[in-house]
Amino acid sequence: MTATAANAGERRRYWFSIAALAVVLPAAILVHTGDTIREWLRDMRDPIAVESGALQRYAGADWRLTGLARLPGSLPKTAVVLAEFEATVDDPAQLAENRCQVALTDDRGRRWQPAFLPESAVHKAKPAAADKPHCGLFEGTSTGDTIMMAESFVVPEDAKSLALSVSLSGALPAYLLFR
Amino acid sequence: MTIRQRLLAILITGIGGTAAAAASFAMAVYDAANPEGVTVVAASEPVDTGRWIVTVREARAGPIPPTGIEPPEPKTFVMVEFDADNRSAETNNVLTRLLAIDPPVPNLPDPIVYLARDGWVAGGINPGMPERMIAAWEWPPALPPPRTLRLLIGSQIYKRRDNLYGASGWFDLDPVAAVELSVSPAAAEATQ
Amino acid sequence: MIGSIKGPAAVLLAAAMLYGMQRTTPLYSDITSPVPVTGRQGERVDTSAFAIGVANVHLAREVTASSFGRDRTYTTSGVWVIIEAAAAAKQESLSLTSAKWLGPNGVRHALSQRLSSMPGMPGTERLEPGIPRPMLMAFEVPESQLSGATLLIARSAVTPLAEEAWIKITDVRAQNIRSTVKLGRGNRSQPWTLEAQ
Repeated sequence: MTATAANAGERRRYWFSIAALAVVLPAAILVHTGDTIREWLRDMRDPIAVESGALQRYAGADWRLTGLARLPGSLPKTAVVLAEFEATVDDPAQLAENRCQVALTDDRGRRWQPAFLPESAVHKAKPAAADKPHCGLFEGTSTGDTIMMAESFVVPEDAKSLALSVSLSGALPAYLLFR
Repeated sequence: MTIRQRLLAILITGIGGTAAAAASFAMAVYDAANPEGVTVVAASEPVDTGRWIVTVREARAGPIPPTGIEPPEPKTFVMVEFDADNRSAETNNVLTRLLAIDPPVPNLPDPIVYLARDGWVAGGINPGMPERMIAAWEWPPALPPPRTLRLLIGSQIYKRRDNLYGASGWFDLDPVAAVELSVSPAAAEATQ
Repeated sequence: MIGSIKGPAAVLLAAAMLYGMQRTTPLYSDITSPVPVTGRQGERVDTSAFAIGVANVHLAREVTASSFGRDRTYTTSGVWVIIEAAAAAKQESLSLTSAKWLGPNGVRHALSQRLSSMPGMPGTERLEPGIPRPMLMAFEVPESQLSGATLLIARSAVTPLAEEAWIKITDVRAQNIRSTVKLGRGNRSQPWTLEAQ
């Protein structure tokens, strides 16, 4: 092998390596941030708008909003919003093992999480709703069962165009948006 | 560079590396074979443990914990009174492993640390606010309360950058000192 | 001649550069520290997630508080700092659980854990968007760390790159230390009562 031939081979390898960087670097970044990107994509959610009273199939059940009531809050300038909804089970296996997230949103993009315990106004105005469980108990159901659920939220009086969003972990990024 | 020069370089670095590893290993073996005994300090002598300056005062045993409320079923508590001064830049709990009974007593639960001034369970201790505290061990009923107590005082070291994340923090180190106390008996507790 | 110096000079230069880089690398705690949003006592401080305003700062040698119907006295080896503030979430329901008293000497004093279950204390209540709520904080601080301090409020103690409100406390004077501050239970809209003696 002559010196020039060795040099040419070395030079070719050098330029090949430089060119490979252009592919390898983005690939490495992509692999390392893979989880973040997946989460980010999951957060780009996809609402299914449902009119009040209408049935909507979602995550192995038929969902319906049965009531979205505004009750007086115990704090000045606040209101309690009581959301009652039900799911008629169609596919118990698909519905079970889902984590449920419920939130109330308004036209300004604000998001309220449900109260853990219903306010006293709920007990007074709708005692039956106060006993309904939170969203999330889908174990051991069978086809045709109807699960009744209720969540209450404390919102300021001026909150307008409230909508209830219900999302199940297994059915993301799609979620229900009851108006 | 010729092949011969290259081989020589590899040889020299190999010998150097092996020698360094052997020296470090020998030092580790020597240290393990000749452990340095911890210094024994007298009671009421301040000990710098890194994060804390600890002064162990006295020990006593009795049925009443530092809260002053006797538990419904009789228990024996071994209590050690000590001062702790936080030398770090942040509030911190006096860790239960700051004081350890030596030799360890089997089945002894971790002590609860109380503030001496009002008998409350001690929370975080602020820097610049040294506190008198009482560590109380619930002594196993099967064992007689000790007459003397030997305590090891643990230490912590501050690393600006730790070896894993490069984060700064405090890390446990070996005990820095031992203190031997005589345990005053239950009768002394009754006068409190 | 110059050629023989070049090699060692390059090595020295590289060593100096590496040493400089090692010395000036920011600490991990600096890289991941919260982003401060500064403000002063008596004004509203807005972070992107919450807004907070500090109204009153009371100093006392002792605090009495009723818990489970019994009055208890809490002593301190420093000074009690009782802070009355109000906070609201902006876009999402959240809890403010981390509050620190940053003294003029740089020491961060954590909330006193002895009053942490009092109503209104950080973490006892969730903040809802658009509903401002009163907030109570209690610190035990050495007397030298009273004036020139900053109150740091964040959603939690370890959230890298989240915003933290840094509120300069202006209205504290050592001569205003009362002997006792009495905390009582209030009602739903004002969860505590405070009486200085």
